[in-house]
Amino acid sequence: MEFKDYYAVLGVERTATEDEIKRAYKKLARKFHPDVSKEANAEARFKEVGEAYKVLKDPETRAAYDRVGNQWKPGQDFQPPPDWDAGFEFSGGDPGGANGGNFSDFFESLFGGRAGHAQTHRQNAHAQGQDHHAKVLIDLQDAYQGAQRSISLQMPMLDADGRLVTRERTLNVSIPKGVREGQHLRLAGQGEPALGEGPAGNLYLEIAFRPHPHFRADGREVYFDLPISPWEAALGASVTAPTPAGPVQLSIPSGSAAGRKLRLKGKGIPGDPPGDLYAVLIIALPPADTEVAKDAYRAMQTAFDFNPRAGMEG
Amino acid sequence: MHEPMMTYLQGQVVEEEIHLTLTELCHTCGIAVEHVTTWVVEGVLEPIGQTPQEWQFGGASLRRARLALRLSRDLEINAAGIALALDLLDEIEELRTRLVRSGRS
Repeated sequence: MEFKDYYAVLGVERTATEDEIKRAYKKLARKFHPDVSKEANAEARFKEVGEAYKVLKDPETRAAYDRVGNQWKPGQDFQPPPDWDAGFEFSGGDPGGANGGNFSDFFESLFGGRAGHAQTHRQNAHAQGQDHHAKVLIDLQDAYQGAQRSISLQMPMLDADGRLVTRERTLNVSIPKGVREGQHLRLAGQGEPALGEGPAGNLYLEIAFRPHPHFRADGREVYFDLPISPWEAALGASVTAPTPAGPVQLSIPSGSAAGRKLRLKGKGIPGDPPGDLYAVLIIALPPADTEVAKDAYRAMQTAFDFNPRAGMEG
Repeated sequence: MHEPMMTYLQGQVVEEEIHLTLTELCHTCGIAVEHVTTWVVEGVLEPIGQTPQEWQFGGASLRRARLALRLSRDLEINAAGIALALDLLDEIEELRTRLVRSGRS
């Protein structure tokens, strides 16, 4: 197991005061919060920072961690020494706490045993089970046609001893035609089982699309870049364009500029009303890599009295 | 789970088919009523209806409420700060969308 240097994670000295630790944590938490940050590894960093803070903010766990850390040398495989926490008094608060689970093996090996029991107590013997939430990735085509998909979900839950374990379950779900990114699908009764005779909780699946090489969805509208040649842009043309529902013939009006959007009405994500599909024109230049091609460009140069920077003078 | 035949669960699209009462929203997101009430006062959530008993939250409130919950819990932001953060996040989203539309992202 890898030893985690929580001080390094927060970027503070081992002698840092409580206030310094708190300030360092707050700054990093804002920077890496997955809802705010667009950094690629934001979620992992946010968890790491949160874990470090949980241990270091509390004088008791910090002292226990320091004792373990003092015996460890960089690069050494880490095993918690037996009775590492003997002689420390923990006041019963759980280092696990609000965010519930998802801590590193390192954290679990030191503090995991105490982390489990912070369950919310239900007043009612027949309470409705908790609702669960999960995010699922589907293909854009699934939204066009509707689909039946098997979805694997990781469910963190407490086992009989109160330890956090992850259980995987597979659900077969019908993806409704016309569903859009960011929408939620409610599956009645698929959340947490009820206590006693109460109803089971619901499961909410947040829909996200897998990135597609060509198509980008924005609500019901779908966009894609359509490369055309300079002569197709200038003279107009009829070209075959891909759509999520299959190829279509698209006429390019003469005199089209790059960035022009051609709307394919009703070819976006289905619905009432359906969205539109937009082809965003890109003008692709043929390479001047042969004498014939170079001559063609030279012929254009003489044929046009064209200064693309005419508007920039002065 | 061994099932001889594949059965596929039918779900409802929350944003289009569902309105939530105050109690339902709180249960679904695992938040206290006081939190939601404060967020309504600050304009984070905009239910239809006058009194809390009459409030009907559109399906889109689900995502907003969960986002507000995560921000207030993880970063200890108060209700006014949440309202500001969500407004700014909306604005960033809108700007990103424009980039996507113009193919520049």
